[in-house]
Amino acid sequence: MNSMKFFKEYNREIGLVIALIFITVLFGSINPLYVSIGNITDIIDQTTIYGLMALGMTFIIIGGGIDLSVGSVLAFVGVIVANMLTAKIHPVICILAGIAIGFLVGSINGFFVAKMKLQPFVATLGSMSMLRGFAYVITKGFPIINLPSEYRKMVDGLVYGNIRASVIIFLLVAVICHIILKQTRFGNYVYAIGGNEESARLSGINVDRYKILIFALGVSTSALAAIVQVAKLGTGEASAGGGYELNAIAPVAIGGASMTGGRGGIIGTVLGALLFSGLKIGLIVIGVDPFWQYVATGAVIVIAAYGEKIQAQFSELRRRYAQSR
Amino acid sequence: MNTNFIEFKNISKIFPGQQALKGVSFSIKKGEIHAILGENGAGKSTLLNILHGVFPPTSGEIFINGDLVSFSNPYDAIKSGVVKVHQEIILVPEMTVMDNIFLGFEETRLGLLDRRNLRVRTEVMLKSLGCTFSPDERVKDLNVGEKQMVQIAKALELKANIISFDEPTSSLTNKEVETLFRAISQLKQKGLTILFITHKLDEIYRICDRATILRDGEFITTYEVEDLPKEKLIKSMVGRDVAMFAKRHRDCCVDWQTVVLKVDKLSGARGFRDISFDLHKGEILGFYGLVGAKRTETMRAIFGADPRLSGSIEVFGKSVNINSPTDATDNRIGLVPENRKEQGFVKEMNNLDNISLASLKKFDRGLLQDNKRKWKNAELLGKVVGLTPNNPAFNTSSLSGGNQQKVIIAKWLSTDADILIFDEPTKGIDVGSKSEIYALMEELVHQGKSIIMISGELPEIIGMSDRVIVMHDGKIAAILNREEFDETTILAGAVGGRN
Repeated sequence: MNSMKFFKEYNREIGLVIALIFITVLFGSINPLYVSIGNITDIIDQTTIYGLMALGMTFIIIGGGIDLSVGSVLAFVGVIVANMLTAKIHPVICILAGIAIGFLVGSINGFFVAKMKLQPFVATLGSMSMLRGFAYVITKGFPIINLPSEYRKMVDGLVYGNIRASVIIFLLVAVICHIILKQTRFGNYVYAIGGNEESARLSGINVDRYKILIFALGVSTSALAAIVQVAKLGTGEASAGGGYELNAIAPVAIGGASMTGGRGGIIGTVLGALLFSGLKIGLIVIGVDPFWQYVATGAVIVIAAYGEKIQAQFSELRRRYAQSR
Repeated sequence: MNTNFIEFKNISKIFPGQQALKGVSFSIKKGEIHAILGENGAGKSTLLNILHGVFPPTSGEIFINGDLVSFSNPYDAIKSGVVKVHQEIILVPEMTVMDNIFLGFEETRLGLLDRRNLRVRTEVMLKSLGCTFSPDERVKDLNVGEKQMVQIAKALELKANIISFDEPTSSLTNKEVETLFRAISQLKQKGLTILFITHKLDEIYRICDRATILRDGEFITTYEVEDLPKEKLIKSMVGRDVAMFAKRHRDCCVDWQTVVLKVDKLSGARGFRDISFDLHKGEILGFYGLVGAKRTETMRAIFGADPRLSGSIEVFGKSVNINSPTDATDNRIGLVPENRKEQGFVKEMNNLDNISLASLKKFDRGLLQDNKRKWKNAELLGKVVGLTPNNPAFNTSSLSGGNQQKVIIAKWLSTDADILIFDEPTKGIDVGSKSEIYALMEELVHQGKSIIMISGELPEIIGMSDRVIVMHDGKIAAILNREEFDETTILAGAVGGRN
C-alpha cells in the first residue's frame, strides 16, 4: 500500500491520533502532571471499562443498531458475578458465567430487534430499565462486598510494572474484535447488514440470525466490563454503570463509526475511547469544575459527529467528481 | 365549447442522458376525460409532472384557458386549481380524513380551527362522492381506494378545475375501481377537466372521451375514443424504429429438454395470481408487462423475498421450499434487483466486498477468511463481467451505473448460481454498457446458465429473449415463442387487449 492510499484509508484514525497528541500537549502544558506516568496509567485504566463496552457497541452500531442497555448490563452482570463470588464459586467460573449472561441478554435484545421488528432504540430502552430493576431486586439495594482478593488480583492485579491485567484484557479483546470485524465472514456481514440490510437479505444472508448474533457479541463485552468493574471497585452494586450508555457510545461515535451503520472500525473506537477518557481526566487535572466535564464531553461528541458528516459529504463529492469524469 | 382549455405547445424535457419529451403539442377540451397513453418511458408522467410544476420543461409552453402558465412548484399549481391525485399516497397517515383535506388550507376563527364548520363541509363532500367513511377516521386506517377518494375530496375543496390521475387503479380492487369511476364521472359532471394516465385499455373505453398517444417522448396522435378499434390504438403505441441494438449475436443455445425452474400456479399477497411457467437450460426468458403488471413481485416471491400464498416451485426437477432469499441462493438462484442502489449493493463497500457478499462461505479458512483468494476471485470475476477499471479496492458506489450492474452480476457468478433473475438489467445504464450487459447475458446462457429477464423495454425483450411471457394485471396474458415475437402482439397482451 502506498502512502496516499494509507492516508485515504485511515484518515479518520490519523485525525484521532493528531487530536490525541493535541490534547496531551495542551493539558500537559497547562499542568505537567497530566503527562506523568501515574496519570497516563490512570487514563488507560479508565479507558478499559468504557473501552470494553465501546468495543461491543462498535459491532452493534456498524450493524445499524444501538444498545442503550449496556450500562444496566454493567450493574446486572456485576451483581450476579459478585454474588457468585461471595458464594465461594471459583472466579474463573464466575467470569465465564458473567460473559454467558451478557451473551444471553444481548441475544434477547437482538431477538426483539430482528424477530419482533422493534426499533433498537426502544427495545434496548426497555431492557435497560428491566435489567437495572433486576439488579436492584437481586441486591435489595445493598452493595455486595467482601469479594475474594484472589479474583481482584486475577482481573485487575498488576502484571508488569504499572500495567494491570484489565488493560491486557482490554487490548486482547480489542485485537480479537478487530480480527472478527475485518477478517471473518461474520465481520463482513456486520458491515453489509448495517450498510444495506435489504441488499444483504437479497444476497441470501440470514439477516435476522446475524442481527441477534451482533447484539449478543456486542453486549458480551459490556459483561466483560462488568467483570473488570467489580474487580476494580471490590463491590457489586445495582447502581453501577448509571449513564454509561453515553460512555459506550461516545468512543464509537468519536472513532468515526456511522450512526446509521455500515461504517466504522475497532482502531477508531480504541482511539476514541482513549481520547474520551484523556479528555475527562485532563479536565480534572487542569482544575475544571467537574460539572463542566459533562458539557465538554457532550460537545466533543457533537463535534465528532459533525466531523463524520462532513467527511461523508466530502467522499460523496469525490464520488460525484469521479463519476463525472 | 372551448376546444383548447389546456394547450401543450412544443413541450420538450431533457434529463441528463435522455430526452424524455420531444416537442409535444396537443390540447385538451374543457370538461372532458382525456387519457394519456403510451408504453413505459413514453413520457406520460413527465408531461404531467411538468403540468403540475414538479419540474419545468426544458422548452415549450402550457396555456390554460388561454393564459400562459408556468408553475414553479406543485403548491402553485394547486392554488391555481390544477391538482394531481398521486400514485403514491401523499396524505399524513396519523391525521384524520378531515384534517388531511384541509391541511395547509385550514380555515380559522379567532386563530383556532373552525372544526364544526369544516366537519359539516367534509361530511357533505364525502357523501356526494359516495364515500362511506367518516371525516374523523384516521387516514392510515383507510384502504388505497379510500385514500384516493380523500385526495379527490381535497382537490374539490381546493376548487380544482383540472385533476389528473396517474394510474389510479393499479392497486385497487374491482369494487374500489367502481367507486373511483363513479366519482370521476361526477367530477366530469361538475365541469372539471380530467387527465388520466392508464395502462388498461378497458378503462379508456369505459370512462375516457379522448385519448392521446405518446411514444418515445413524441406526440403521435389524439383519438376520439368512441368507435375506435383496439388494434388501431395498440398499433399507434408501438411502431418504433427497427434499428434495435439489443440483439443476439450467437445461435440459440436452449436445451428444451432440461427444465431448470418450474413454477406452478404461484400466487402472492402482492397481487399476482396463477403464475405457471418453465425455464429451460440456456434460455433467456423475457418477462414483459407495463407498470402494475406485478412482474417484480412475482420474481421476488420466487426468490423468497416476499411470501407466497400458494403454488409450487421445482428446481432441476426437485420440489423446493423457498421461504427466504437464503433458501433461494442455496438452490443456486440469484437476483439482480431493479433498484441497484437500494437493493443491489452496499454503498459503503468496495467491489471486493460486494462481489464476495453472497459467497463468503467459500472463502472461509478456519474461523477467518482467505482474503487473498477472495481478492483473486473478485479480480477474475471483474474481468469476466468486463468491469472497467477492474479494481476490487474501488468503492462500488463511485462507479457508473453499468459498472455497478456488472459488480452485482459478478456477485452472483461468484455463487455459481444456475438461475439468474435480472430485473430491468439495463435501466438507467448508458448505451455502451447496455450492449456489454447484453453480450454478457448471452455468454452466460452459452455457459449453461438460465436467465429470467424482466424488462419494460420492448426492443430489449424482443431482441434478447428466447421466449417472452407477457403479464397483465398480475396474470400471465401470453407466452410467446421467438417466431411469434411482434411488438403489437406483445403490447396487446400487456394492455389486456387480447381475447
